[in-house]
Amino acid sequence: MEAKYDFVKRYRDQILKCSKCGFCQAVCPVFGLTLRPALNARGKMLILKEVMDGQIALDDTLIETLFQCTTCANCLKNCPSDVNVPEIIRQVRKDMVGIGSCHPAFRGMQQVLQSHSNIYAEDEPEDFGRERNKKARSVYFIGCVGSHREAESTLATLRLLDRLKVDYTLIDEVCCSGVLEDVGFQTNERLARKNIELVLATGSETIITGCPYCFRTFTQNQQYAAFKENGIDVLHISQFLKRFDIEVKTDRRVTYHDPCDLGRHCGIYQEPRDTIQKIASNFVEMPRNRENALCCGAGGGVRGAFAKNSIAMARRRIQEAVDTGAEVLLTECNSCVHNLTNARLRKQHIGIYTTTAFINLLMDAG
Amino acid sequence: MEERIKQALINIVGETNYTDNLIDLVSYSYDGSQHRHRPFCAVWPETADHVSGVLKLANTEKIAVIPRGAGTGLSGMAVPVRGGIVLDLCRMNRILKISIEDRLAVVEPGVVYADLEKALAPHGFFFPPDPASGKVSTLGGNVATNAGGLKGAKYGTTRDYVLSLQVVLPDGRIMRTGSKAMKSVSGYDLTRLFVGSEGTLGVVTEITLKINPKPSASSTSLATFDKLDDAGRAVSRIMISGIVPSALEILGRHTLSAINQNTDLNLPEVDAMLLAETDGYTQEEADFQMRRIIDVFRNNHPRQVQLAKNDREAGDLWLARKSAYGVLARIKSHFVLEDVTVPMANIAELLKGIEAIGERYNLQIATFGHAGDGNLHPQILYDGYDSEEVKRVEAACRDLFELAIALEGTLTGEHGIGLSKAQYMTLEHDPVAMDVMRSIKKIFDPHDILNPGKMGLDTQDE
Amino acid sequence: MEIEGYNMPEDLYYEGNHFWVRDEGDVLVMGMDDFARKLAGEIVYVQLPEEGKMIETGKKFAKMESGKWLGKVFGPVSGELVEVNEALEENPGLINEDCYGKGWMYKIKPRDKSELEKLIHTAEDIQKWLLADIEKYAKEK
Repeated sequence: MEAKYDFVKRYRDQILKCSKCGFCQAVCPVFGLTLRPALNARGKMLILKEVMDGQIALDDTLIETLFQCTTCANCLKNCPSDVNVPEIIRQVRKDMVGIGSCHPAFRGMQQVLQSHSNIYAEDEPEDFGRERNKKARSVYFIGCVGSHREAESTLATLRLLDRLKVDYTLIDEVCCSGVLEDVGFQTNERLARKNIELVLATGSETIITGCPYCFRTFTQNQQYAAFKENGIDVLHISQFLKRFDIEVKTDRRVTYHDPCDLGRHCGIYQEPRDTIQKIASNFVEMPRNRENALCCGAGGGVRGAFAKNSIAMARRRIQEAVDTGAEVLLTECNSCVHNLTNARLRKQHIGIYTTTAFINLLMDAG
Repeated sequence: MEERIKQALINIVGETNYTDNLIDLVSYSYDGSQHRHRPFCAVWPETADHVSGVLKLANTEKIAVIPRGAGTGLSGMAVPVRGGIVLDLCRMNRILKISIEDRLAVVEPGVVYADLEKALAPHGFFFPPDPASGKVSTLGGNVATNAGGLKGAKYGTTRDYVLSLQVVLPDGRIMRTGSKAMKSVSGYDLTRLFVGSEGTLGVVTEITLKINPKPSASSTSLATFDKLDDAGRAVSRIMISGIVPSALEILGRHTLSAINQNTDLNLPEVDAMLLAETDGYTQEEADFQMRRIIDVFRNNHPRQVQLAKNDREAGDLWLARKSAYGVLARIKSHFVLEDVTVPMANIAELLKGIEAIGERYNLQIATFGHAGDGNLHPQILYDGYDSEEVKRVEAACRDLFELAIALEGTLTGEHGIGLSKAQYMTLEHDPVAMDVMRSIKKIFDPHDILNPGKMGLDTQDE
Repeated sequence: MEIEGYNMPEDLYYEGNHFWVRDEGDVLVMGMDDFARKLAGEIVYVQLPEEGKMIETGKKFAKMESGKWLGKVFGPVSGELVEVNEALEENPGLINEDCYGKGWMYKIKPRDKSELEKLIHTAEDIQKWLLADIEKYAKEK
């Protein structure tokens, strides 16, 4: 039978490799919250098998499951058969968009990025009181969440960079648009070109970004190949910060949440810990950490499309942090900070920060 | 699903606990086996009263009800072959009580095994049956299949730990079995009847489990054998040596070469590898027992014997055994995992027989398993899209079961009969026993609505 | 009263960003009005600051979010935040269900109740204001 969809052409064998063992149920954040097998990785593969067999159609009925996946890859890491569910889901979403079947929030995202410079359609850029587009050794790329939802956190990061006397510039950045690849569309070429233009104009050798998603997009998406071609290094701030001797210390109990985009998707687990352990002697790990970290629920477009469930997933992760006795929860992703902060209950007295914002806080206090 | 019945179900469990959404129906069609069939709908009960209401309704309307936990069963016992209502018990997932003084834990059926372990760990206690699926499988499912695991040789299986149950019968009546007391012989042992009954006699809505203090010390060793007979003899000698290992695992030749082809573990290509673990409340105790085992290994022509000096080395030794299932699962498009079990003296014969079956049907069969209680896992790897090969697999399975029975064993040590082995029940059970089992089923479930079509107890054709 | 399908009770005071205020004697109750909650869509997050926080007229004191929108909540009058609707913590959708009743958000003890007069109040004013905003947002779409 001729493969009707790209996901079949590219991933048929993998989907068939799913032996239905169900081990993914142990780690999937959506299943952990809803206890609905249809929303778990195995459920998704079974549904795709039936699409391939012609038993069911690829249509709107499947949106609830095929678009409700944070692409956190925890299933993949635990799959005895190595089924790359996040990649399969990404391709399926593209196929579904191709036949006109898409979650309205994702279509909305695509449309917003056609006419705006960020996913929130905010027309006024946040002013961080710093010059943009000047010549500098590094560009600091904030990302949409950091600019428009976690401005305080970004401001703290910039203050830290100033304190460390980093020679950087902001740019009139636009959305890296990497998220579109996850929700059924493609990286927006116009926006990518704009970012590349702005970066090249600064003459910088390095892009430092606070957003693991932008980091992933700049290093893995071919629309940003120009960076490598021009010899520009892309670093996540946790990799950059490792080089510095941070003098401040805290004896508060601190734990760390590995963002999916930095951890499982980019393999960066140790660098943030190196910095955190320099400043916090009372550091504890949550039982689910590194490759097995529990997703905060915001990724893969889920915070936009299934906001209630997204926040409920974050609530489960916060409880894990609270259970360690930690007073401070650090992470490296503003999207995680945003979702976790929204989910935090009033009775939970735990501070949630990016590492840089926290370091800046300690310096302010010191 | 008829609108009237749908509404009646919603009235019982609430609107958010009912679904006939296509995506749910598709995922509930399957478990961990190769079988599949769509249900009409699914419900998520939250209390025993919900379960009772659903069964009462189903019993009156003659609609099948299929209880389900995590759906990781390997024999098809959770597949709704007659359509009907899937009763997903995962929302009944509270640990109701842990009483260390009474050495028991009371749980709802949807509690995941690993979550119970996590709750018991701070008390220094554990629930010994250690099914490989423990990270996802539920205690209700463990009870339904009498789940075993790696520690079976020393600690037994789930049924050895169930003190009492709350069960909802197919007609909706709720009853209790057993006692919180550590032992009781009051009336018929209904607890034991329900454990392992694969959800065909009643739906378990509360489980009281015996829990044990967890031995804190352990010792691990590994031995390889060029000749299968030597490994087999070593197993027998260990079991009569006066000590009981907490785990005694075996990996066969095909398993070892498959692992080598797909990982860099670089294992020796021998007939068999044995992995032994002893445990104790003191390190001396664990070490004393391990010395006995090492002596047995050494006296039975091993190629190599390794003793782990610390936890990290122990982890390394376990790597081969733990990766076996996953490695084998990736080799061909399909596989069948069996769990035939024989008296320990016949393990070597069983392994040889499996080898012969593989040759006879030109199939790749890799075996690993719990030598400590005679429970082997032959994994038959095949191309499920080659209908000719599929036929050979079916024939090989029949031969496998006939072999196990001939060696005075059983069709299944821990996975259950479900659908996969239903046709072979008469190989193992005589006509009188089959008749008695059917009669028991009829007493509990005269309308045959609770998980019908399973265990070969039907007279209906599938 | 109903204005073009939006329910806007005329006995309430309205702050320009579409929050209502109800006078309950010592304390003022504040919430989101029907127009705003329909525009925002399902509310998923409401920030609930600590009791005792000082509120200043026209100054942002909290934020809230729906799936697609981030909103700032400004002080309608000055005073002290004395109570928050804790039910919104796990069920922010109450605002969509019942924005004038169960979905109330904050209780403020006003420093000077006469500040209420600066808010939009009479049936005529409410109507004029709402119709203008309906037009404004329709254009933006």
